[in-house]
Amino acid sequence: MATIEVQRQILPILASPNQGARFYNPELPSSEPFVPGHRTCAGCGPSIQYRMTSKAAGDNTILVGPTGCMYVANSSYLCTPYNVPWAHTQIGSAGSFTAGVAAAYEAMIRKGKWKGPYPNIICEAGDGSASDIGLASISGALYRNHDCLIICYDNEQYANTGIQASSRTPYGGMTTFSPPGPEVPEGKKLFPKDLARMMAAGHPHCYVATASVGYPIDLMNKVRKGLNHRGAAYLMVYTPCQKGFVYETPRSIDLARVVVECGLYPIWEWNPEKREFDYSFRPQSIRPVSEYLKLQGRFGHLHAEHIATVQQFANQQWKMIGVELPEALVQAADPRNQVNMAAAAEAEAIAETV
Amino acid sequence: MPTATAAKKKTVRINGCVASAQAAKYADVDVIAAYPIRPYTATMMALAQMVANGELDAEYIVADSEHSQLSIAHGASSSGARVFTGSSGVGVQFAYELYSPISGSRMPVQMMIADRTLDPPGDFGSEHTDALSTRDMGWLMGWACDAQEAFDNHLIAYRIGEDKRVLLPQMVCQDGFFVSHITTDVELPDSGQVREFLPPYKHPYPLDPRHPVSHGPQIMPEQGPPLQLERARAMEDSMAVIEEVHKEFGEIFGRHYDPWLEEYKTDDAEVVFFLQGGHGVTARFAIQHMREKGLKVGMVRLRTIRPYPTDRVCEVLSKFKVVGVIETNMALGSPASGGALYADACAALYEAPERPLVISFMAGMGGEAIVLKEFYWMTEKMIQAQKRGKIEKRTHWVGFEE
Repeated sequence: MATIEVQRQILPILASPNQGARFYNPELPSSEPFVPGHRTCAGCGPSIQYRMTSKAAGDNTILVGPTGCMYVANSSYLCTPYNVPWAHTQIGSAGSFTAGVAAAYEAMIRKGKWKGPYPNIICEAGDGSASDIGLASISGALYRNHDCLIICYDNEQYANTGIQASSRTPYGGMTTFSPPGPEVPEGKKLFPKDLARMMAAGHPHCYVATASVGYPIDLMNKVRKGLNHRGAAYLMVYTPCQKGFVYETPRSIDLARVVVECGLYPIWEWNPEKREFDYSFRPQSIRPVSEYLKLQGRFGHLHAEHIATVQQFANQQWKMIGVELPEALVQAADPRNQVNMAAAAEAEAIAETV
Repeated sequence: MPTATAAKKKTVRINGCVASAQAAKYADVDVIAAYPIRPYTATMMALAQMVANGELDAEYIVADSEHSQLSIAHGASSSGARVFTGSSGVGVQFAYELYSPISGSRMPVQMMIADRTLDPPGDFGSEHTDALSTRDMGWLMGWACDAQEAFDNHLIAYRIGEDKRVLLPQMVCQDGFFVSHITTDVELPDSGQVREFLPPYKHPYPLDPRHPVSHGPQIMPEQGPPLQLERARAMEDSMAVIEEVHKEFGEIFGRHYDPWLEEYKTDDAEVVFFLQGGHGVTARFAIQHMREKGLKVGMVRLRTIRPYPTDRVCEVLSKFKVVGVIETNMALGSPASGGALYADACAALYEAPERPLVISFMAGMGGEAIVLKEFYWMTEKMIQAQKRGKIEKRTHWVGFEE
């Protein structure tokens, strides 16, 4: 059968001095596929991510939105913020619906039914969709290697349903499904699923990376690398949620850097050609986890031993990416060197009155 | 290389599953979403081989579940591709979440169903409960009684579902094994006939970067009713299109189907079986035997159940004294405490000036063949009711009573 060759786009990689820390980059495209007019909260991490991601992708893009904040709060009938085609799909259909779009374009272009370069096909799945209910569908799409990019905007909870624990919610994180109480003082007892590494290990032919909205150029470049990769790509992005994390609204980007500086969100890439992790990304400073935890109300109930437990977890992550632990972090993993969050708050309240 | 575009009319000996696969090939589908479950699997096996042989140019996706199958189909159809998928039994139910979103977004996805009982326990036999449990989700739905009709129904359903006056998904059903795995002669058309009958799929608002649209955004409660009304109207309006398309199909292919019902020996019949699917073939045979004994029995076989041909069912069934609904499905705790077809039939008959007696027969359950003596037994029950002027009871489990 005569078939037409599918033309694919290659997007340029942006200069990224200083790991893409905040600076003006004249190469940034002016196109805005994600425009104002949506109903997300002030300081919403996922929607900041949405803007950066779609900007990196450009206008020849199709977005798939499984149920989640970026569906419910973004899209309003007769008034949606998408300047490119967008479709809602079921929360468990993230990978499968996206696979359908990709397969349709492969077939339609090849059979001459649609003319033009293959579009960027991006799925924006929340962590509930990506780590729980839609996990199999995403794994299926990655395994079958459809030419698409699946993004997990990771706000570490089911946020639009009113803050429920997902398998990405960190240890100690308070949600309405993991509230602290006398019997369960830490709130969430389980550690988060190591989702992105699971995707890399299980689908080694895919480009897989983690990113954070605290590092916009790094994030946008990873979007472009994922789209340029011929086949499936997966990106997990830290996107703080003001409503669920309970922090001061203007600090979204700060938080998205501090989480990396505290070792709780390692930034890395999986290289599908070399079949190895690239753990070379280093934040500009390294901090104890308490500096991250104390910014958020969701950790306000933690006791000294819980904070030490989180520090132990962070220390394991530092080791994983090859960072030699500073003595201060080793010390911070000992509960005797921590104070209860409530105690700290009390001390602060007293200090203010003096 | 042999391709669908070069095919000439010919008769082949194939089963229902392969007939469905052939129909998908003739329809030149773009995306196929497969997942194995008996008995429909044979359709996807045949399509996989066609793609491997280069007879059909389509993206053949081995999905990770039926839920994914239907989501793939939804995504591909939303992008403007012609899509084929299918399932059986509990597989149909695993995908349940997607039925309303697909019809609600007005994507003419086509799904082949070879019926299978639902668990428990695992049983490969045919019961229509799998597809019937989704009957109110906004999909066009009908049953074939043999492989030829299955082949034809697929082409007809694509044409109806993709019509801009309709834009609804379609379930094209056949009994597992009785149709899906029984080999019969099937006439495959000339590809020119198919091109004439079924133009390429063109959705009015696909996901196309040159014309951005948003599919399925969140609505406020007051925006819900008009959208639901539109979908309901699409279903109602499809009735005229269904008649039109069947007529055109007959003109092009020479096989003239009544879109709604097949009537068999009903001219002077006093009691009739009312059923759908493959048991219609055995019913015809049983009726021939009983006619030789002088019994005035006939059959009305429902071909399309969604949209339900209420007026037609009322007009046809009200001619008889007794109607025996052969269910081949389970609707536990339903009005007849038997099957689902009874309630629809009774609702259709409600406005008839003279209503027949209606009995629900639970027969062909578990995928058992309905044997001749069971047809005789059911006929006897109908004749007794006719003589008494009332039914003995609403529902009989055939084979469990004297």
